[in-house]
Amino acid sequence: MQNFLHAVLNNRFAVAAVLLFGIGFLNMLLQQNLVKKVVGFNIMDSAVFLLLASLGYIEGGVAPIVGEAGYNPLYINPIPSGLVLTGIVVSVSITAFSLALIQRIYRRYGTVVLSELLEAAGREED
Amino acid sequence: MTDAPGKGALRRLTDWVNGEREPKDQTLFVMEKRRLSRPEPTETEHAQRERSRLHRFLRWYPAAAVLICLVLSGALLCAVLALPAFGDDDAPIHNEVAEHYLEYTREETGAANAVTGMILTYRGFDTLGESCVLFLAVSCVMLLLRREDRGADDREEQKLLQEDAIARERPDRILQSVARILTPFLLLFALYVLLGGENSPGGGFSGGTILGCGLILYAAAFGHDAISRWFSQRVYAAVRTFGLLLYAGLYGYYIFLGANGLPCAFRLSLAIDLAVGLVVACTVYGFFSLFQRGEI
Repeated sequence: MQNFLHAVLNNRFAVAAVLLFGIGFLNMLLQQNLVKKVVGFNIMDSAVFLLLASLGYIEGGVAPIVGEAGYNPLYINPIPSGLVLTGIVVSVSITAFSLALIQRIYRRYGTVVLSELLEAAGREED
Repeated sequence: MTDAPGKGALRRLTDWVNGEREPKDQTLFVMEKRRLSRPEPTETEHAQRERSRLHRFLRWYPAAAVLICLVLSGALLCAVLALPAFGDDDAPIHNEVAEHYLEYTREETGAANAVTGMILTYRGFDTLGESCVLFLAVSCVMLLLRREDRGADDREEQKLLQEDAIARERPDRILQSVARILTPFLLLFALYVLLGGENSPGGGFSGGTILGCGLILYAAAFGHDAISRWFSQRVYAAVRTFGLLLYAGLYGYYIFLGANGLPCAFRLSLAIDLAVGLVVACTVYGFFSLFQRGEI
């Protein structure tokens, strides 16, 4: 038990990221409202960013802006920061695209709730 | 006579391979017979069956979703607990690549900010792809949300015109005064973050976002007509494409020269920062405008 707690404390940000990921994923699966599904998706994104950003940290490190001092102070790892940037860009693009799709759906069917949408689509088929 | 069946089978096979004769297929007949033996379900029966199938699915769906989520989270948690401790400087992620970036970014790219220098030069293709993703995202949203021709969607058009008339008659004094004071400073700050991204926190993405926010504030305060007077759809498309092409051209030139520094008079990361900033600003403003009015 103590070992487990120790491991959790050692990786507190990663554990928080996993919890956030689970919350977002469940939100995406269970919400009936399409906009709330997108919110769940964004929570999942945030979890991934948190994990990546926490991986790059080094105890006592400063932001990697290399001044005249050269390589003297300890800097954090710049690579995960760059990867987070990629993730944010993709997340923004996907969010905008899905919201646009949802707006089109709303114009067509007048609802964004999944169960009502299924009914409306079924009625239209008949 | 004894080898007749074998020969026949061989011939049948070669015929079949050559496509000269279709092998005799019984399945069609069988299916025909089976369908005859069972009465065709009527329309209402079919609909009812579909609905009950859906109900059964919906009854099990939440439990299955929770189960999948728990299993996934548990697996991820197990993996995460085996990671090296947070802040550990011996973790395998802090390898010689990161060290190289930190040590040589300043002299090889001229940027003191290692992240900016890294994403614009060492990993420039990645950033070029990001710019393309943003470009494509705006294009897709445009495809989905742009109102095709005026007058086709009468009710939307009427509503927008009505809102415009209200905004003209009773302008929002607070918003307009704030925007008048704030917009120049926002644009200035955006320029600072854009061009100072080499030596301080910032860069193309953050500066571009601030620039786009300035445009959004201006458009929200003074109306769409005011901004489309100088930032019309043609200008928008031109700026957006120019940013992407500038990036591609500059980065191609950089790779062509051997991907290891440029003549010092020419600051590559500064120019690429500007290109990225243009693309990002256009993207942010385009999302706002398209979602609000369905046009740029």
